[in-house]
Amino acid sequence: MNRPIPPEEDIRALAGHRFAGGERLIEHWENFLLTDCTGAELLPDGMVHPVALFHVPIQGAGTSIADMFALGQAESDLSIMIESYDWEMPETLKENTPYQVSGSILSAQRLHNDEGRPYDRIQFCFEMHEGKTLAARTTITWHYTRNTL
Amino acid sequence: MKVAKGDVIPEWVMEAVSAERMKTMAAILRDPNPLHWNRDTVAALPMGLGKRTINQGPLGLSYMVNMLHDWAGPGSIKRLKMTFPHVVLDGERVIARGVVTETTESIAHCEVWLEEASRGRLLVGAAEVDISQS
Repeated sequence: MNRPIPPEEDIRALAGHRFAGGERLIEHWENFLLTDCTGAELLPDGMVHPVALFHVPIQGAGTSIADMFALGQAESDLSIMIESYDWEMPETLKENTPYQVSGSILSAQRLHNDEGRPYDRIQFCFEMHEGKTLAARTTITWHYTRNTL
Repeated sequence: MKVAKGDVIPEWVMEAVSAERMKTMAAILRDPNPLHWNRDTVAALPMGLGKRTINQGPLGLSYMVNMLHDWAGPGSIKRLKMTFPHVVLDGERVIARGVVTETTESIAHCEVWLEEASRGRLLVGAAEVDISQS
């Protein structure tokens, strides 16, 4: 049986939500394992592989993938579809460097697909700063599908 | 390195997308989605994907990163945006490819994609790469 779709106003109200924020560093072991997962060799001089730009900002901002699923009232872990990931990298991330991380929900809206099924498009933005310098900005756009599984 | 519009970026190949690496990735990411670590869950979906786990989106991006690093050097990528029209499955041989669409004095704008021989382009996107240091 399908779960009820959350009220549209609940979804729209998510826009502007700010996560607690915090500080995050990437230790060597984490960079090593992440880089290995990509099939690449470790980068030189303590450089962090950009693949860290998905979860490090999320965790550094004081949230989690599971919390982000829950914020959008996901029907299940299986119901999330990726629209896009946008990684901006003005600076190269380095191991063992404390980054100040902030995050918020840029937009949240109810849309309908070509078959007329509703889904909710939620866009998250995270920023990592080293001191006053912006090191990275990531934008995650997910679709919270409804009644599709 | 001289870069011009129309230049083809040397491809980067992942010979076989690994279910074990997806498990490691899921643990590091604290990703609760069983599509990345439980083949039975994927097989039960009405999508006909069979008993194969689905690669995490960030790993798909990482293959594009590896291609661009091999081409222009580590730290050269300034922006990478990817969309995900199709999933990537464990065991698949996938190839990261790209072409330069525009250049400025220091930045190459590139169209990039991840493809599989029988299913075509699985991920598509764009990258901005600093070519001033390479």
